[in-house]
Amino acid sequence: MRVATARTSGPDALDAALIACATGTADTFAPVYDALSPAAYGTALAVLRDPDHAAEVTQDVMVELWQTAARFDPARGSARTWVVTLARRRAVDRVRSEQARRHRDQRDMDQSGATAQYDVVVEHVEQRLEAAGVRRCLGSLTQTQRDAVLRAYYGDRTYREVAEDLGASLPTIKSRIRDGLIRLRTCLGVDHG
Amino acid sequence: MTGSSDFARAWGWTMADDDHDLLPSYALDAVDDTDRHAVERLLAADPDARRELDEYREVVAAFTVDERPPTSLRDQVLTRVAADARHSTETASATGAAPSPRPVTRTSHRPVAHPLRRRLAALGMAAAVVVAVAIPTTIAIQSQQTQRELQAEADTIAQMLADPDAQVLTAEMDGGGEVSALVSAGHVMLAASGMADPGDGHDYQLWAISGDTISSAGLIHPVDGSATALLEAPAGTTLAVTLEPAGGSDQPTSEPLVAVET
Repeated sequence: MRVATARTSGPDALDAALIACATGTADTFAPVYDALSPAAYGTALAVLRDPDHAAEVTQDVMVELWQTAARFDPARGSARTWVVTLARRRAVDRVRSEQARRHRDQRDMDQSGATAQYDVVVEHVEQRLEAAGVRRCLGSLTQTQRDAVLRAYYGDRTYREVAEDLGASLPTIKSRIRDGLIRLRTCLGVDHG
Repeated sequence: MTGSSDFARAWGWTMADDDHDLLPSYALDAVDDTDRHAVERLLAADPDARRELDEYREVVAAFTVDERPPTSLRDQVLTRVAADARHSTETASATGAAPSPRPVTRTSHRPVAHPLRRRLAALGMAAAVVVAVAIPTTIAIQSQQTQRELQAEADTIAQMLADPDAQVLTAEMDGGGEVSALVSAGHVMLAASGMADPGDGHDYQLWAISGDTISSAGLIHPVDGSATALLEAPAGTTLAVTLEPAGGSDQPTSEPLVAVET
């Protein structure tokens, strides 16, 4: 049976520090902030590409991390993965609500706008990928898988929007993203078996 | 099981298969709200799907490039954290409770309380059990993330409460307190009340025992002596609570204070 899940690496000192925050004071949180805020900020910056917006999201994420420390389960993943998950969700939510607002303000918005936006950020994507841990593994993806995954990650596109952008069917894009992440999982050695 | 349950299960299985393919997109936050809700239903019902999601999240985290945030952010965050910690302590004191860090625990959410209360009351459970699932009113849930997770849990609990075959079990805890468990279709909702303070340097830890396998199901942080937990556990799983060194142990290091056979 699996009530709790196993993870690739054992719980580390950082995980223990975050767990301690569940019953600790603000002082307990300071070292956790120092260790994890760069991951939160880097994640938010990749999505938002605006330092001020990324800083606002990071502030909220780090406070949320403190408030929800009791829910952190090191059996399911590292503290770093946890904060990245929180940061990405918040940053993407912010982009989507901003997009919705713009759609309301500008009803005749050019349908190709999003694709153009992706093309503009290709350079930014390549710069960031140079330093990302996943970079060495992207070669294990087919070109179409890589394109779909990167559009979803850096273009902040849903898989439905990626399908529209590329003129491909929904099942096709869903499969490319799924197969792409499965290949990355294998290459990175992520196995919670 | 009735024919209609079989149909619902068959239908649910088909949907779950489809939603299962969405886990990688969900891990990338590349789903819209409708898809997101469907995946969260799957996650609430299927521990294997949760494990798979955890793996995809680790993959997504590998895209992260650390960047040093503006230095002013540190003070802003730590000031908010200090204010939050102080507020929680004051609130706890005002209600006569022992100071506890923050009343945010995994399943303590007000909307959950009402259907469970009704159901337990309908089952003619003792008043003490109803008290066990009373939820502190001081909880402030701030993030959408938390709300969504709680919604997924609320959906699961609603399904459990709708199950006519659901069972309620109760057991006394050594050292004081009582645990009741609502058991339905592979899920267990635990509610404990009257728990003693675990004391400095200790935490209560929940275990799921199946055959020779003992798995941690997380720490229990009682608020006002009460705590709730929602977990997956196939029929025949025994749930037990032990007192462990703060932060918990990989395997139990003390005798169970209580054990509930599902």
